[in-house]
Amino acid sequence: MSESATPPDEAAALEWRDVTVTYGARVRADADTARTVAVADLSLRVERGGTVGIAGESGCGKSTLVSTVLRLLPRSADVAGQVLLDGEDVGAMTWGRLRAVRWAEASIVFQGAMHALNPVRTVRHQVAEALELHLAKAYPTDAARSARVDELLALVDLPAAKAASYPHELSGGQKQRVMIAMALVCDPDVIIADEPTTALDVVVQAQVLEVLAGLVRERGLTLVMISHDLAVLAAVCERIVVMREGRIVEEGPSRRVLDAPEHPHTRELAAAFPVIGDPASRRPARAAGEPVLPTGDDAALLEVRDLVVDFRARGTTIRAVDHVSLACAPGEIVALVGQSGSGKTTLARAVLGLQQPTSGEVAYAGKPLPRRRAALTAYRRAVQFVLQDPSASLNPKHTVYDAVAEGLRIHKVADEEARVRQALTQAELTPPEAFFGAIPSELSGGQRQRVVIAGALALEPTFLVADEPVASLDASVRGEILDLLLRLNRELGLGALVITHDLGLAWNIADRVVVMHQGRIVENGTCEQVLLDPQHDYTKSLLAVVPSALEVRA
Amino acid sequence: MSAATWQRRRAGLRESAGEFASYRSGLVGAVLLVLVVLLALAAPPLVPRESLAVTQVTADRNEVPSLAHLLGTDSSGRDVLGMLLWGARASLLVGFAATAMSMVIGTVVGMAAGHFTGLTQGALMRVIDFFLVVPSLVLAIVLSTVLASGLWTIVIAIGVTSWASTARVVRAQTLTIESRAYIERSRALGAGDAHILGRHVLPAVMPLVLANTTLAVGAAIIAESTLAFLGLGDPTTYSWGSMLKRALDTGAATAGFWWQVLPPGIAIVLVVLCFTLVGRALESVLNPVLRSHR
Repeated sequence: MSESATPPDEAAALEWRDVTVTYGARVRADADTARTVAVADLSLRVERGGTVGIAGESGCGKSTLVSTVLRLLPRSADVAGQVLLDGEDVGAMTWGRLRAVRWAEASIVFQGAMHALNPVRTVRHQVAEALELHLAKAYPTDAARSARVDELLALVDLPAAKAASYPHELSGGQKQRVMIAMALVCDPDVIIADEPTTALDVVVQAQVLEVLAGLVRERGLTLVMISHDLAVLAAVCERIVVMREGRIVEEGPSRRVLDAPEHPHTRELAAAFPVIGDPASRRPARAAGEPVLPTGDDAALLEVRDLVVDFRARGTTIRAVDHVSLACAPGEIVALVGQSGSGKTTLARAVLGLQQPTSGEVAYAGKPLPRRRAALTAYRRAVQFVLQDPSASLNPKHTVYDAVAEGLRIHKVADEEARVRQALTQAELTPPEAFFGAIPSELSGGQRQRVVIAGALALEPTFLVADEPVASLDASVRGEILDLLLRLNRELGLGALVITHDLGLAWNIADRVVVMHQGRIVENGTCEQVLLDPQHDYTKSLLAVVPSALEVRA
Repeated sequence: MSAATWQRRRAGLRESAGEFASYRSGLVGAVLLVLVVLLALAAPPLVPRESLAVTQVTADRNEVPSLAHLLGTDSSGRDVLGMLLWGARASLLVGFAATAMSMVIGTVVGMAAGHFTGLTQGALMRVIDFFLVVPSLVLAIVLSTVLASGLWTIVIAIGVTSWASTARVVRAQTLTIESRAYIERSRALGAGDAHILGRHVLPAVMPLVLANTTLAVGAAIIAESTLAFLGLGDPTTYSWGSMLKRALDTGAATAGFWWQVLPPGIAIVLVVLCFTLVGRALESVLNPVLRSHR
């Protein structure tokens, strides 16, 4: 909270005083006339050179809060209270002053670097654009601007040669670093990073966090960072603020918040990102010691034999899956982990028969899958798919009933309604009738994922392939969905191949962990074996960069 | 289909109708169009067909507009207003029928070209390209000379030559829909081509096709007039295009008999304008992106 004793001449770099932000009815689809309160009477002070992390679930108002700093909110938003940037009230600034302040004094690194860069301009052009707009006097010539761009890229550990590339030629982490370089163009005092690492995998995330932490250390920047992951914040920030429903529920030094959270909501957030090796966060479907159904090649329900998938792109062949063999026993939960680009999604698509393998085969119950799509019908009833983003994997125009019944209609199954009712009940959407007429946009993220799962359950499958089933969900919902998967596993004997880049998720639920790297399986063993006693170097390096393992900033 | 679905669709329809009514130009166009359609339907009782037969006319040739003949008479002594009403029937019929034909072909081919890959797609795309680059008037002229002359020949000639641009638009929309995750989910559930096209793609491209339709009707009416004016229409039916042709053939246009030239010309412009206004408004209602740029 703000310290009222501070003399006015020693203004904080950034301060919110009793800020309340409400949105007009227009942002909500269901013509609710009441204004939605996004931030409620919040005060927060960030000292010069301070680093503050703001944590919270989506919808808790954290993005709205930081958007007030540069007045980036839509017109339907109404801001009350004061936002002081270096002692100056942002709300009282003229447009000309605001334009000068944006970027020069405070700049924002947006989430989703993939979409924030212009795809048809080179990196150099885009970084130089900000120089041209704000610092035309200091860097009057193209050569001077170019030199400055190289300097900025060096700050974020990118070679100057990368300046000539277009965004699509860069990896996600490189793009995010370009975004950070752009934020540094005018040497701002305050940098606001809105979920800078959310779309990145663990290895790249660690690199980006390292760059941010280094900049703060060396240049004395003031940093406000938003994330839903406490461990990520702790790796860069001194202080963590936890928000819920527009209010601060907990605030304190990073280590204290992470190690001894006081508010139940903070504990909930912390629990969603399990510490690998912590028995409390491991919740396997079976009690320890209870044998998993017999494993071994002859007992395998789903088997991948020496599978190769090649993609041809502009004359070159890319081998996405390289001679992979894998067997999943009935009722077993297997986690397939690896970085993005490791070929795990391609492997999953091949397992589902959505991707034709170049060589090798997938076998179900001992029989190889037919190559013709029409002959796959029986297989597709038995093995179901749960996709990463539940809002994208439901047709926005179809009702919940239609979405769940889709598989039943495709397979011409009788007593459709009873089955839909049962599937929704199994997915814990009760009473099922209440959800029949709803369309996806009326549901929360967790409910949507339950609908997707119900759609899979309607066909009474024996195996589930889930591609990052909780990656786009909030901390509390994440736990619920995982519990649901485990309960289905226990009660229906439903096995699952869970694809994820999140080792914590694997630790949460998996019986067995398979590590994939550059199209090959480098390690395969029980969860404890692989995660606690990794043999392969790649697994070790993955485990080293898991946020909870990163060093907490003192 | 459950009751809730229908209820929501009805509510959606009501909302769209209200939205449409807020576009004044679209509303004016719609009202005028309804008026023209009603007049065209009422043509037989208002102006009996026999009264337009050359052997039955009592009026003089090229009469100036008067109370007896509000728009005067043509070179055979026939009532221009009566011919205009009968012409509306032909023009609207050809406009609607040709558009329907072109939309059906365009939607089916466009969806197929977007959905299928490899050889099928390549072949379909080349067919679309062919119809896109061939001058449609020339093709229509060739078709209407090859086929027996008549109103339906004109319909076919226009329908077959004007679907290519619709197909391209539909294909683009199909491609964006097919890249969505719910299509992947559907495939994993075991859906075949028919299911994906019918349940997911078609409902998504329909609004686009509908908005395109109203714009295409205007173009089809112009094409009909052009073909009739060039003498490729059915000589036994009255249409606005054939009225213009007759006015030219009998020298009315050069003799200063303006009432034989202006009414059909203005009628064409008016109806096409109405369809364009309605089409624009409909497009804005159905496409929220355009709505915000109003």
